[in-house]
Amino acid sequence: MKLTVCIGSSCHLKGSRQIVEQLQALIEENRLGDKVELIGTFCLGACQSGVSVKIDETIHSLSPDGVRSFFEKEVLAKL
Amino acid sequence: MNNLCADIGCSSLNKFGEELCGDHVEVVEHGENSMVIVLADGLGSGVKASILSTLTSKIISTMMAAGMSIEECVETIAQTLPVCSVRGVAYSTFTIIHIVNGTEAELIQYDNPKVILLRGGENIDYPTETIDIAGKKILKSKIRIKEDDIFIALSDGAPHAGIGVTLNLGWKRENIIDFVKTFVHIGFTAKTLTTMLLDECNSLYGGRPGDDTTVCTVKIRKREPMNLVIGPPSDPSECGRMMSLFFSKEGKHIVCGGTTSTIASEYLHKPLRTKLEYFDNDIPPTAECEGIDLVTEGVITINKVLTYSQDYLKDNESYKVWGYKKDGASLIARLLFEEATDINFFVGMAVNPAHQNPNLPINFSIKMRLVDQLAECLKKMGKKIKVSYF
Repeated sequence: MKLTVCIGSSCHLKGSRQIVEQLQALIEENRLGDKVELIGTFCLGACQSGVSVKIDETIHSLSPDGVRSFFEKEVLAKL
Repeated sequence: MNNLCADIGCSSLNKFGEELCGDHVEVVEHGENSMVIVLADGLGSGVKASILSTLTSKIISTMMAAGMSIEECVETIAQTLPVCSVRGVAYSTFTIIHIVNGTEAELIQYDNPKVILLRGGENIDYPTETIDIAGKKILKSKIRIKEDDIFIALSDGAPHAGIGVTLNLGWKRENIIDFVKTFVHIGFTAKTLTTMLLDECNSLYGGRPGDDTTVCTVKIRKREPMNLVIGPPSDPSECGRMMSLFFSKEGKHIVCGGTTSTIASEYLHKPLRTKLEYFDNDIPPTAECEGIDLVTEGVITINKVLTYSQDYLKDNESYKVWGYKKDGASLIARLLFEEATDINFFVGMAVNPAHQNPNLPINFSIKMRLVDQLAECLKKMGKKIKVSYF
């Protein structure tokens, strides 16, 4: 599974860094390093509703405090 | 004609308790590769000294750049300077470094500490000729310049540093040379060398300089072009033209901005790989793309570069940060402040709708102002700047 986090200007200001750090920790915690690939991108074209995180081809809108539930629902459940 | 140019860095310490500096440095460029640099030290300190040194350096630099002889300059000064009511003389010592056609340095020195010349890290004892103009003994030298030559002009506050405080006889010229020789090979810019020397003077003075102290470093270097593009063009059909103009330029290429880097990677047909490493919590990570020397985020990164450049022109305190860090802003700062001599900015005027959100500290007019201010600061660092809008 490919998780792409937007780190462009708008998303950065809305908390990309915290989201990246939390996702990195969650992947580590669940030992999913070989199943989930975390990558960055500069713009997913959804700046207004950032922080944008893309799973395969779907773009989700995240905020730093919703990372854990997002991870459980969208990542763990679908592996 | 060759491709050598001068990187100049000057700074001063004010005599303790004085608001104005009695030393003044003036730089005037004339022609493509020629410039006159004048360091003047006015008699006394405070307002009076400041007026004397400002007048002296302004008059000499303007006249020399217009091609007049040193004799005429000295005569003009003697007749113009106001006479000090206490001491009955009009007096300002001066050092002139005249770079001619990027091939020769003409040194003209009157009563300031002798200019230090370092070549290949070693002190060069260059020949001088003494001439007499209106009773003043003036030292003249002509030196063929080479890449990496370093000229250091000082006001007497530097060799006097520490007298009676930390050193009995002050910081002698040979001590200053030994001090600079320990780090000169590292390749610091003129401004950084100047800052290091002044910091040392300040600490020798125990933080209370007994005299105005000025250091002006001139480093001879090769011209290094650099190109930076930020923002997509206002008309999307112009992307190809903007990119082909940008990539056809000689020198390194820096791409700033998410959309801009996507356009550049499409133009080059090379994938863009964004990293996820945060070297600085406030600055978004950088990216890699074959054919581009550096890819970063746009406004936030450039805003930080602007802060660094404003500080560089003041006391250069933040050198400790951008001098080594690996975040996008520090990388750009090193390329623009240290490496580049000629910078081409390609500024796209497209409005990013996501940035027009009033809750975000970035918007279109801020972006335009950022680039203008950065270009202004870089000009003050002595760089040649060209800005094109798309």
